Amino acid sequence: MAGTSLERKGIIFRITLIIILIIAIFPVYWIVITSFKRPVENISPVPTFFPKVITIQNYINVLKGGFFKFLFNSLFVASLSTLFSLAMAFLASYALVRHKFPFKLNYIFLIWVLVVKILPPIVLAIPLYTIFTSAHLINSRIGLVIVYQVYTLPYCIWMLFGFLKAMPVEFEQAAEIDGASKFKTLTIIVIPLTTSGIIATAIFSIIVAWDEFLFALLFIRNPDLLTLPLRIVNFITEYETLWGELMAIGLMTTLPVLLFSGYVYRRMTEGFSLSLK
Amino acid sequence: MIFLPAFIVIVFLTVYPIFNVFHMSFFKYNYLSDTKKFLGFTNFIRIITDRLFQKSFINTIIFSAAATFAEVGIGLFLALLFYGFFKGKRLFMIMVIFPMMISTMVVSSIWKTLYHYDIGLFNYILKSIGLHPVGWLINPKMALFSVIIVDIWQWTPFAFIILQAGLNTIPGEIFEAASIDGANYYKTIKLITLPILFNQILLVILLRTIDTFRIFGKVYALTQGGPGNATETVTYYVYREGFTYFNLGRASTASIYILIVISLISVLYIRNIMREEK
Repeated sequence: MAGTSLERKGIIFRITLIIILIIAIFPVYWIVITSFKRPVENISPVPTFFPKVITIQNYINVLKGGFFKFLFNSLFVASLSTLFSLAMAFLASYALVRHKFPFKLNYIFLIWVLVVKILPPIVLAIPLYTIFTSAHLINSRIGLVIVYQVYTLPYCIWMLFGFLKAMPVEFEQAAEIDGASKFKTLTIIVIPLTTSGIIATAIFSIIVAWDEFLFALLFIRNPDLLTLPLRIVNFITEYETLWGELMAIGLMTTLPVLLFSGYVYRRMTEGFSLSLK
Repeated sequence: MIFLPAFIVIVFLTVYPIFNVFHMSFFKYNYLSDTKKFLGFTNFIRIITDRLFQKSFINTIIFSAAATFAEVGIGLFLALLFYGFFKGKRLFMIMVIFPMMISTMVVSSIWKTLYHYDIGLFNYILKSIGLHPVGWLINPKMALFSVIIVDIWQWTPFAFIILQAGLNTIPGEIFEAASIDGANYYKTIKLITLPILFNQILLVILLRTIDTFRIFGKVYALTQGGPGNATETVTYYVYREGFTYFNLGRASTASIYILIVISLISVLYIRNIMREEK
């Protein structure tokens, strides 16, 4: 406890701390200042550590260039794929925790879920592309929501399985004795007891879907349906990169996720290392 | 059965495609010309003797090994360095994990400006202290190294946080007892900390190996596999075969090779996870 633990002081310790901090956040600082520089300043061979003239033109251009469209696409895909995954994963994990399965099916299923989490998604890309093409799900947000289940579903199953397994069975037994139906037990007992776990799972799943790039690249060709990561890549790979606008859209894409840093940190230190990734 | 929806989706999105990839790996199949011809094991021989595939495989191994080693090594070092309590620790830790919270595409954009040959900050610093500028992403000898640096920057915080959390579960009394017994700092680390942290270190190594092995976005955004094929990874190879040349057969065969390597890593990973579960 606090009494026995080490209090760290000392000037050298402080200096190391600051150096580490600078390495970690300097690039973030660089995004911010670059996004406020004029295009001329951004292609100057002498980089400046602070904009000579602060401009918000980059942001205006990004907003005019359809930012809200891409934001909507990203939000739509990330939230819907998370919602579907949560629903399916919750039911499946509950079954895995509380029901008996023949032939060790539950065990095989869980291991497979882990394997899918490990799998490089490109391995699945070719057959999925063929299937989705024939089902007219290429160039479609719904198609993206479906294919994102490859990431979010195993993730949600594994995390929710952990939370549900930690929940004592007694409450449900009591509800059952009182004559509550299965559905009622789930909605009144189980879901409220695991709310914090469900929220944690949702946040991590949204972050995963928000950052997804590979399937978006393969499945979306229509410029109106681009997600934010795709739009950013288009900026980077263009012949003449508009650095200021690139950083502006990058910052706007990252900021919402960055706000979760405190939450993610807390979850990670609480021993969620196994559920992560 | 409430279990069924997830089960069906998983089978449809993962089990079926893997059988499909396996099936296609025996065929010459071009999506554009829509020709399909059974080849037997020919693809397997052609791919493994393909210079570019070998190169991409070696690149992936180098990338994965170097990045994982550095991330876990530095992460462990930092976890030991920042053990204990100090003012503002929580805020410090939260800011330190910023790199892994930033979307990979945004991370790639920042580093692309920093690495830029003419206008990048790094070359500016080199020039201003009288050194020659470096072609970070355009020199074939440097490019892979530069991509590795980006991954290290982005993911060392992950190793740091996990190991730091593991370290904090070790009761302070153990360290006190060790120091009373006259153990010095390095001895304490070697004899107490590392053995207790062993499982966590192993887990972080596995997680980082798995994640670096599937690298795609960074390569796509930073170098597109180039210059030449200096940063071509196996995932990029499959992408190019499948989605640029539309050789679905060859791409499938390359995928099978990836699957073989991944299944070796999976065995280690799953054993580790299942042990923790029990």
